[in-house]
Amino acid sequence: MSSGRSLGVNAGRIPASPGRARLSRVLELLAPLRDIDPIVLGASLALTGIGMVAVYSAKLATLTAQGLPTTYFLNRQLLAGGIGLVLMLAATVYDYRRLRSFIPLGYVTTLLLLVLVLTPLGTSVRGSQRWIALFGVQIQPSELMKIALLLGLAMLFNETEGTPGFGRTSIALVLAIIPLGLVFAQPDLGTSMVYLWLTGVVLLVSGVRVRFLLMLAMAGGAAFFLALRTEVIRDYQLQRLTVFLGADAPDADFAGALFQTRQSMIAIGSGGTYGRGLFEGTQTALAYVPDNHTDFIFTVVGEELGFVGAATVLGLFALLLWRAISIAAQAVDRDAMIIAAGVGGILLLQVFVNVGMTLGIMPVTGLPLPYLSYGGTSLISWLVMTGLLLNVHQRRR
Amino acid sequence: MTYSVHVPPPLERSIVLRLAFLAALSVLLLGALLARLWFLQVLAGDRFAELADSNRLRTVVSQAPRGHILASDGREIVINRPALALTAERQLLVDAAGQPRDASAARTVRRLSDLLGIDEQTLLRRIGDVRYSPFRPVPVAVDVSAETVLTVRQNQELFVGISAETIPVRDYPEGDLAAHLVGYLGQISRDELAEVAFADYRGGDLIGRGGLEQSYESELRGRGGQEVFVVNRRGSVIDVQSRRQPQPGLDLITWLDLDVQRAAEVALAEGIVASRSIRRPDGRTLPSTAGSAIVMDARTGGIVAMASYPTYDPTEFVGGVSADYWAFVNDPAQGQPLNNRPITGQYPPGSVYKTVTGAAMLEAGLVTPTTRVRCPGSYTAGGVTFRNWNSADEGPMDLATALKRSCDTYFYDLAFRQWQVEQRSETPDEIVQRISREFGLGAPLGIDLPGERAGVVPGREWRLEFWLRYREGYCERAARAEPGTFGYELLTDLCRFGGVWRGGDAINMSIGQGDVLTTPLQVLASYQAIANDGVLLRPSVGRELRSADGALVRTIEPEVLSVLSLSPDELRAMQRGLERAVMEPGGTAVGAFSGFPLRDIPVAGKTGTAERKPRVPYAWFAAYAPADDPRYVVVVSVEEGGGGSQTAAPIARRILEHLFDVAAPGGPGFTPGPEILD
Repeated sequence: MSSGRSLGVNAGRIPASPGRARLSRVLELLAPLRDIDPIVLGASLALTGIGMVAVYSAKLATLTAQGLPTTYFLNRQLLAGGIGLVLMLAATVYDYRRLRSFIPLGYVTTLLLLVLVLTPLGTSVRGSQRWIALFGVQIQPSELMKIALLLGLAMLFNETEGTPGFGRTSIALVLAIIPLGLVFAQPDLGTSMVYLWLTGVVLLVSGVRVRFLLMLAMAGGAAFFLALRTEVIRDYQLQRLTVFLGADAPDADFAGALFQTRQSMIAIGSGGTYGRGLFEGTQTALAYVPDNHTDFIFTVVGEELGFVGAATVLGLFALLLWRAISIAAQAVDRDAMIIAAGVGGILLLQVFVNVGMTLGIMPVTGLPLPYLSYGGTSLISWLVMTGLLLNVHQRRR
Repeated sequence: MTYSVHVPPPLERSIVLRLAFLAALSVLLLGALLARLWFLQVLAGDRFAELADSNRLRTVVSQAPRGHILASDGREIVINRPALALTAERQLLVDAAGQPRDASAARTVRRLSDLLGIDEQTLLRRIGDVRYSPFRPVPVAVDVSAETVLTVRQNQELFVGISAETIPVRDYPEGDLAAHLVGYLGQISRDELAEVAFADYRGGDLIGRGGLEQSYESELRGRGGQEVFVVNRRGSVIDVQSRRQPQPGLDLITWLDLDVQRAAEVALAEGIVASRSIRRPDGRTLPSTAGSAIVMDARTGGIVAMASYPTYDPTEFVGGVSADYWAFVNDPAQGQPLNNRPITGQYPPGSVYKTVTGAAMLEAGLVTPTTRVRCPGSYTAGGVTFRNWNSADEGPMDLATALKRSCDTYFYDLAFRQWQVEQRSETPDEIVQRISREFGLGAPLGIDLPGERAGVVPGREWRLEFWLRYREGYCERAARAEPGTFGYELLTDLCRFGGVWRGGDAINMSIGQGDVLTTPLQVLASYQAIANDGVLLRPSVGRELRSADGALVRTIEPEVLSVLSLSPDELRAMQRGLERAVMEPGGTAVGAFSGFPLRDIPVAGKTGTAERKPRVPYAWFAAYAPADDPRYVVVVSVEEGGGGSQTAAPIARRILEHLFDVAAPGGPGFTPGPEILD
């Protein structure tokens, strides 16, 4: 495929006339749709669909018992999915090269929202202040910040030829650290780790010297150690980071920090090979796994659909990851490559940390499972990032 | 409308490598997730499925009503009655250490303590008793008054976690009658819960302790009901998965006749107490510390009555025995009333054993029923002189007369001669020992009561084993004794030759002395065999089991333990001897039965006065009646009760009077028999 095809062919085919000119402009705008990556689209929509069913199942019994409409959470998620699909379409068709000029504004706006979250305008749930009401809708700016930071970093490294120097790398770190600090203050250890990881992935693929990356990694390690010593990291966060290793112990503290991990493992393990059947999971129905519609949504899949279903979900994520890295490799521009690789990087981290947490091999940190977890902002962010992937794919070499 | 043709710079090689690194990392991390998923779901899935079930299912058990224990005529000995009880929700009140979980729980316990008059520590111990299932309220006070229950109900906010329930408890319509036979209920212990045999018991369950409650535990208990609930994370019940109704326990119908039981208990207790005022030749009164009385159906082996003195009150055990009462029943100074002496007391049988010796001599062929053997005042063997209880020479006599007169020297001579025969054999056939076992001695008879003892039938092997075990002690004491004294001679002899079964041992054993020990039940059984034409039956208290609606479930059939190897003539001679001992002038028990209508109700019996130095002799009397067609066998034994004819026979007479509805000539009460020392 030649690089010019998607842009030039249609223009040549349609004769110039006033009426037809308007049509041709519309067609030209939609032209990229014909070149959609079917795997990316299919996998992301399949994951979103599975997520809808899982969210419905997770709260079905509880809502029935309370006499509430059983579709309460599903409807809200469907609404977010609808908005997400529209925004995904926009993110797909709007050429990323034209997006560049809006990036600084978008970054600063999102940053502002993150600051607002920490003011009394923000909403606190279980001691963590993460949400803010905008036009009557609760949104989670830290989710949007993932995109803003990714685009910001992509733009920063776009102009570089060869190896980025100390200057740009430093600016990149500053761009990352400001939102990281704001999110950490919420506190949301999980999302701040996502920012850190994202920055690392971007630095890696943008060609920063390995020597320099290693130095940064060591500095990061030292900072983490310091954080432990100075108790910047709260006790419960540290406890969550360490106790999960003992979840298998027979004398595990059921009521304490291990309860969630243990119940999550019981839910997934009891699913066996083929699962207990959709809407038949007892751990799910009897609410033994807290947060099983949000962070622990994977337990619903594991218990009700078994190894077959859970492995399918992991397979869909693997497909997306493979496509993201391929798309990055085929990208025309440096920023496009960074965007595609960055989306893949965030996906990898969130899937590993979230699923690993439900399987008892990672600590419990509040990270949602991409596409599946209940939460409008998260779903919309992921659909938008899917759109960005498709966007870069259409304008590949 | 046109874009400049953009020629992208080729992606640097290093960037491709870095993307490849990202791809490799993805494969690694997703591979790790998949592997873990495989382990949890496919390899360990079954275990987790079990865990999920144990999460969601809660089992609540309900106890089945325990079966009743009834007399042979259907009268109630043990039944259930509803009792008001206060129960406590453990989780609401105490923590894992058994202390009040918060200030309000502490206040509740204090109020309860004031209300019930039980101190707080005791209450806390009951509430925190780990033997109770955590899913059941723990009873803290049973048999509380209705006012107490109303106080709690009306002020429920002051008694959070305390509720009133009606629970079934054991009730004894006849009070402490047959207490030893019935036994009592106690909470199952933690050690027992760990055993396989008690797999279907739970903490707090009651279990039979002692008596029929223990031996018929599995039949009386029934099967508890069980409900399995589905609960959510907060423990709220969502659904009922299964439900099993409790199955009531079976009722046990015994051979007991409550009137005879009461008569036996009264006769034994009054006889023992009255005998304590009898003076011995040395001027001291008889101690008569304890005793047994048993009545058996001669043709079935059914226990009609069994009394043990001193006794206890089983109602004290309902709802948990008090510490004071527990100390009382275990106090040796009180004669340890929990002991059921008819089956746990092991005493030298004395002369009641002469039937066994006589049968053995017939078996050995040393005598026939008509053979006459001399009955001198004393008998000398191996340089040692053994005395008869009567110093006068009574001349030659047959076996029946020897039993009637209870002549010791008759048996000494035969036993010594038999011992000499056995000594000449490499592998001696120890006839007295063999016949003893035929009569049910030396091993538990297998009565359906717990704790039955075996007694001792000594012999050559037994002697050797005993000596090997204690030889060192004899030798040490011999070394310390003063040479030339009697103690020195004895201990030195025991140290050197104590393992040898000697003629003296055989002579002592022939009159139920020496090392032979029997329980009152064994003596009873040996006389039952004689009364029942030589057929020894297993003694049994239980007769049949019926379901709660009265349908017969199982009959406990009489079981033949052995058939005596006596010819009809030989058996008849023994029976004649026992009849003459009671009914013919000169018989040892004649005095005790003077005035008894023996013409209508002939009685056969044997007295026994067993020496156990330095104690006062143990009194025995074994009898059966009517002698021509035996219905009942009766045995009475009194520890340190003096002569058998003096203490035991009069008690047995009173029981026989009741059995055959005979009016006592001197009115009811204990009349001591003549002071014959055998």
